[in-house]
Amino acid sequence: MLKKSSVWLVVLISIMSIAFIATGCAKKQVVKEEATAKPVVEAKKEEPKPAPAPRVEAAPPAPAPRVEAAPPAPAPPAPAPRVEAAPPAPAPEPVDLVSLRIQFAFDDYSLSTKAKENLEKLAAWMSKNPKEKMQIEGHTCDIGTNEYNLALGERRANSAKKYLEALGVGSAKISTISYGEERPLVPNKEEAERSKNRRDDFVKTR
Amino acid sequence: MKKSWLIFLVALLLVGVSTEFLRAKVYIDIRSPSFRKFPIAITPFKSPLTPNEDMKLGERVTDILSNDLSISGFFALIDPKSFGESLIKPPPGVSPLPAGQRPAGTLPDSVEFRRWANIGAEALVMGEITYKDRSLTMEARLYDVVQKELIIGKRYIGEITDLSRMAHRFADEIVFALTGEQGLFQTKIVFVSKATGNKEIYVMDFDGRNVNQITRHQSICLSPRFSPDGAKVVFTSYKSGNPDIYIKNLGNGEERPISQYPGLNISPAWSPDGQRLALTLSKDGNPEIYIVNQDGSNLLRLTDNPAIDVSPAWSPDGKKIAFVSNRQGNPQIYIMDADGKNVQRLTFEGNYNTHPAWSPRGDRIAFDSSIAGGHNICTIHPDGSDFRILTANLGRCEMPSWSPDGRNLVFSSNRDGGPHIFLIDAEGTRIKKLTFHRGGDTYPNWSPRFKE
Repeated sequence: MLKKSSVWLVVLISIMSIAFIATGCAKKQVVKEEATAKPVVEAKKEEPKPAPAPRVEAAPPAPAPRVEAAPPAPAPPAPAPRVEAAPPAPAPEPVDLVSLRIQFAFDDYSLSTKAKENLEKLAAWMSKNPKEKMQIEGHTCDIGTNEYNLALGERRANSAKKYLEALGVGSAKISTISYGEERPLVPNKEEAERSKNRRDDFVKTR
Repeated sequence: MKKSWLIFLVALLLVGVSTEFLRAKVYIDIRSPSFRKFPIAITPFKSPLTPNEDMKLGERVTDILSNDLSISGFFALIDPKSFGESLIKPPPGVSPLPAGQRPAGTLPDSVEFRRWANIGAEALVMGEITYKDRSLTMEARLYDVVQKELIIGKRYIGEITDLSRMAHRFADEIVFALTGEQGLFQTKIVFVSKATGNKEIYVMDFDGRNVNQITRHQSICLSPRFSPDGAKVVFTSYKSGNPDIYIKNLGNGEERPISQYPGLNISPAWSPDGQRLALTLSKDGNPEIYIVNQDGSNLLRLTDNPAIDVSPAWSPDGKKIAFVSNRQGNPQIYIMDADGKNVQRLTFEGNYNTHPAWSPRGDRIAFDSSIAGGHNICTIHPDGSDFRILTANLGRCEMPSWSPDGRNLVFSSNRDGGPHIFLIDAEGTRIKKLTFHRGGDTYPNWSPRFKE
């Protein structure tokens, strides 16, 4: 019995050494690598996206009546200009928010004289149309990393917000958002275009 | 019987030990500053049983291997044109048994090492691909041409879609066997692409192959960053109307918001232990840097300055945080302790420096800078010394991210329109374009090495 197993042993060892010599231990190394394991990152089956969670904004829940396509200046009703006592909620006066858009210098969020003029016009309009709410979008050109530009865009939006508040516009009527360089007005090809993109846009919100 | 098994085990162990001994030999001392590039020849992999000619499995493997080894910077690849027919063809008398049936490792005798040495090769890679019963087998060997011996032999079995993974794995084996250092050919890059018209998050192999879209927010997604274990990605998305921060689990696709304060929730960065995130919030009226647990709890404010503070980046030991601030007029890189104390300005060259990234080795910080007549990728020692500009005439270069071995970086450049993702070595000598998507690719972030 002992002998038999010794023979077996010798055979085994010789096989081992032959394999070792012949292959430079490839036998040991030719491992059946499990390459079948799923890649760590694979195409995700995108689960149907749940409706975006309702976001609690600064805005109060009561939706103000919204008049989108502003009817051509309903103006004060023709008859009885003397009726001063509480007219039933007038439709908002039209306002050209695009012309009120304000521009900034590179890497700057201070308000120019022109920007202040525009904000004064906007404040005047908002005080005449007290139900209107406004979102100020801060934008930048594409120079620099967008993480910084998001912060810069927010600064630009906040500059305008603070100025409007100083002019008496209630802070609850103004919200801000920064898009950094993500929503350029024009492609950032030349300096002229970049300077157009350094801006605050005004968007009516409910 | 028991005794024999014991001896068998010992024999096995001995083989194992000698393997380790072989492995321990370092062919390329990549830690030496002036290491010589190691001359290696990669022969075209044979694929005798390819299902159809168009698949060119062998060529694809050879391509991937060559690309990997060349990106690593450790090797001088011998031009295949110098191989000549006779070197590649098996000499007469060698049985053309399909791989798998032939005893592995019998090839060394047939390799004419001397002839490979004559064309300058010191190492040689050979292999075969077989595809049978919907199963793909890749056999690959690395030989020491000078010592005339096999260094590694591996057989990989999988599906046809695993081919590039097999090639990357073997390339990693080659680098490990010759340098003693882990390769990075199985790592990934997460990035933002506007290929669909919206900015979404994508993951690809480190070499730009196998691109997978991982978000479908149809909004704006930004700043994706791999968790230190590679299992999750944190990023900013406007999908709920505000820039908020989400974590996506790459394994099950699960996504959850972790920071949804009013105002900015941006520039998230994992702590090296993966437990916490540094990020920028403007909920208190001004962009400041905070730290939060990865479940959104324990919010802690680090900076308190009326200026912009943004883009935190941890040191690999978790003790320091680099960030961007314009507190002295224009954006510069600053460093503070991870508790917000000891803020120090790091950069003084260039008047617009953003997006710091701390090398995994800890010895450099990369950032993008308006300098040298453009916007370039730069690196600097964390003590402010040894400032270097890596890119030149590459268009606007932004958003650097280090490879896990600290030897390479990826970044975004608009050199060819784009912008697209480029790879560069830490010395700035080798540059490779990785992405080509329409609409532009930005925010590359290099994954850690994945645990197998």
